[in-house]
Amino acid sequence: MSEFFHQYFDFNYMGEHFWEVLEAFLQNVLIFTVVAVLALIWGLVLALLRQLPGKKFLPIRFLTIAYIDLFRAIPILIVILLISGGVPFLEFIPKEIRIPHWLGKPDPFWYGVVALMLVYGAFTAEVYRAGIEGVPGGQMEAARSLGMSHWQAMRNVVVPQAVTLIPAPMLNELISLLKDSTLVSVIAFGESVLISRELLAQSFNSSALTLTAIFFILIILPMARIVDKLIARNQGRIARGSHMEVA
Amino acid sequence: MKSKSPLTALLAALAALGVAIFAAGCGGGNDETSGGGGGGEVLTVGSDIPYPPFEQGKPGNYTGFDIELMEAIAEKIGRTAEFQDTSFETIFRDVAQGKFDAVISAATITEEREKAVDFSNPYYLSEQAVLVKEGGSIESLEELDGKTVGVQQGTTGQELAKEKLPNSEIRPFPEGPDAVNALKAGTVEGVVIDAPVAANAVEKSGGVEIAEKVPTEEEYGIAVAQGETELLDEINQGLKEVEDDGTYKTIYEKWFKLAPPQAIFSASHAAE
Repeated sequence: MSEFFHQYFDFNYMGEHFWEVLEAFLQNVLIFTVVAVLALIWGLVLALLRQLPGKKFLPIRFLTIAYIDLFRAIPILIVILLISGGVPFLEFIPKEIRIPHWLGKPDPFWYGVVALMLVYGAFTAEVYRAGIEGVPGGQMEAARSLGMSHWQAMRNVVVPQAVTLIPAPMLNELISLLKDSTLVSVIAFGESVLISRELLAQSFNSSALTLTAIFFILIILPMARIVDKLIARNQGRIARGSHMEVA
Repeated sequence: MKSKSPLTALLAALAALGVAIFAAGCGGGNDETSGGGGGGEVLTVGSDIPYPPFEQGKPGNYTGFDIELMEAIAEKIGRTAEFQDTSFETIFRDVAQGKFDAVISAATITEEREKAVDFSNPYYLSEQAVLVKEGGSIESLEELDGKTVGVQQGTTGQELAKEKLPNSEIRPFPEGPDAVNALKAGTVEGVVIDAPVAANAVEKSGGVEIAEKVPTEEEYGIAVAQGETELLDEINQGLKEVEDDGTYKTIYEKWFKLAPPQAIFSASHAAE
């Protein structure tokens, strides 16, 4: 038992390596931030493409659905390995893009960002879609009957209402994203899990992993509480009988 | 009673599937245990697989220099070796905690590691190799300084790279083949790794070559938990026997396509 505590809860050890692990954890936060912005935009694009009406947009709807299904089905770890292992071989792409070193970040950072963006774009698209489809169909019909185009109705009537339904599930996706940023360790990017395992290899002590877990808890718990608040707020709305209230 | 909803039916089907898979998995495990060659008490051995040509293959069917040597040693001491794939960074901690009886995993005997575990006499003398892209301009370890270099996390190659290449970005990959792939992909410009692993990569993967071999005076040993002197003595005795009766030489030549250096025989008898 004391061996267990020494192995995982050596507070002196955590203190000694605090800044090193924190710095590595900030790399996770950085991956998270960049991917969150990109995936929220990319997911919205996908969701809107999926809602395009009529026969002539059928191929676009089909491709969008295929993309979303595909990237929801493939394990993220495999996407990361395929991107980092495959893209550098595509010699028709210029080397600066194939093996990117943008903004002083090494290529595994960018492979991780792209892989997570591709996957989380598909996940966030589904959250947007749930929000859009959560708005009763009569809203779109009423707007169209007033002479609005599909896009005008989307922008002025449907999306403003959908927006209130989206934040809670979206924040859940973002919590997952933050945790999944540790998967980039598999392609040798120096984020918190990789650095913790480095320390483990040097010292045979796992406390750095525990410290990393603590950092994640400290950041994710407040996010989880916000999700609770948002859900409670939405339920409050429904309870008052005003089902859809534009915020 | 209400009839089953489709959702309940789906959940029931999933649960049944889960039970079936679990049962199949258990069955497979039992077969493995009973089917293992030599007989006698099982000796569980931890190893970080794959690390060809030392350890490779699929669960239940592992092979490689370490694996065959360990099986031969186990046979000499009347045990049956059973291998567990595990992660190299935690391997010494796990053997120290009794998760397995011994470790054979191309592990260099170091003072640092000897604080956590006890090592057998050396069974292999190792060199590090500098692996580069075929036809490239890099011809030595020094020329890699300042460039991006791949290593396997927690290995001696990583320590050597850190020491000799202070200006390089060192990327620690979870497994050796990942580092070789990165080299072929061009995301690292060199890989510092055990020489036999490098030689195997040159042969199997192609497109890469060994620029330089760096002697490290490294000796590989089999690790056991501290205080397991009886087991350690048995392993040393078994190692001596497989060396004396020529089994060692056969296995060595099978995996490295070379005759074993004479030095290894004196090294593994030195402690007597």
